[in-house]
Amino acid sequence: MAGVKGPVPALQAALAAENAAIFGYGVAGAHLTGSSQAAAEQAWTGHNQARDGLAAMISARGAVPTAAQPFYRLPFRVHDASSATRLAAYLEDGVTRAYLGLVAVGDQRLRRFGAMATQDAAQRAASWRGSTQAFPGLSLPSAP
Amino acid sequence: MLAASAAALPLLLGAAGCRSSDAFTGPDPLAGPPPLGHDVLTLQAVIAAEENMIDLYRVAISGDPGNQRTARTLRSLLGQHEQHLAQLKARLIVPPGARGVRGDGQSPRAPGGSGGGRPPRASTVSISRLRAAERASAADLVRRLATVPPALAQLFASIAASDATHVTVLGG
Repeated sequence: MAGVKGPVPALQAALAAENAAIFGYGVAGAHLTGSSQAAAEQAWTGHNQARDGLAAMISARGAVPTAAQPFYRLPFRVHDASSATRLAAYLEDGVTRAYLGLVAVGDQRLRRFGAMATQDAAQRAASWRGSTQAFPGLSLPSAP
Repeated sequence: MLAASAAALPLLLGAAGCRSSDAFTGPDPLAGPPPLGHDVLTLQAVIAAEENMIDLYRVAISGDPGNQRTARTLRSLLGQHEQHLAQLKARLIVPPGARGVRGDGQSPRAPGGSGGGRPPRASTVSISRLRAAERASAADLVRRLATVPPALAQLFASIAASDATHVTVLGG
């Protein structure tokens, strides 16, 4: 996670996570109803806005934003509200990890931006999962 | 004079109006242990704040948390703060005898800020106080990101994200 060298690869990784989330919420939302569906729609809209923001940040650095894939392989079959909810949590975990990569870059403003986006994604993940984690976005060995 | 012993050198330098640090470049062997680096001081402050947070939760749980469900929630959040503390301490490497460390090698308690001051000794800690402490902790960790190495910044940001989810669980 700490191996990201510069801001553009980290921004591209965050953009890729946002694109995957946009696709995934499209699938999840179709299996949700009521307040869950409303939350999924709100998240989908937020991820679209985040994607546009990241694309602009990448372009401003002279790079080309990587396009979304036409299709993403889902980590498991989504066929009901329960699996759709698990997918939403899975997507937000991926977004959390990606933004944590931005926290490792040298640019202080990007670090803060990445940290705040990490918090937003971790909160959405916790909401879908129904529980919190000690280290959102990190895989840490047990401390001695 | 050329045959002067090492023990006599400071006297000779002193007579010449020199301090030992004027005669050599690099660390002064006579100045004692070096002061702690910025990263160590930052980690100590964050560890102290985490310890204070744990104290707050323990008081809240040992008091009257309201009902069993609330108590279970608080114990779960406390467990995550204990994990934060373990990971923070695992990264703290203090040279033996370094200046700025308590005699028992433990980090000094935070004088203020998130978690704030000495461990709470009130008989109860309210949920709103825990919520405020979590919010302050998340903000404090983000504020410290600018001056620490990448790996430590990621740990701080992850803990801040965890704290932010705690705020929501506590009704924020």
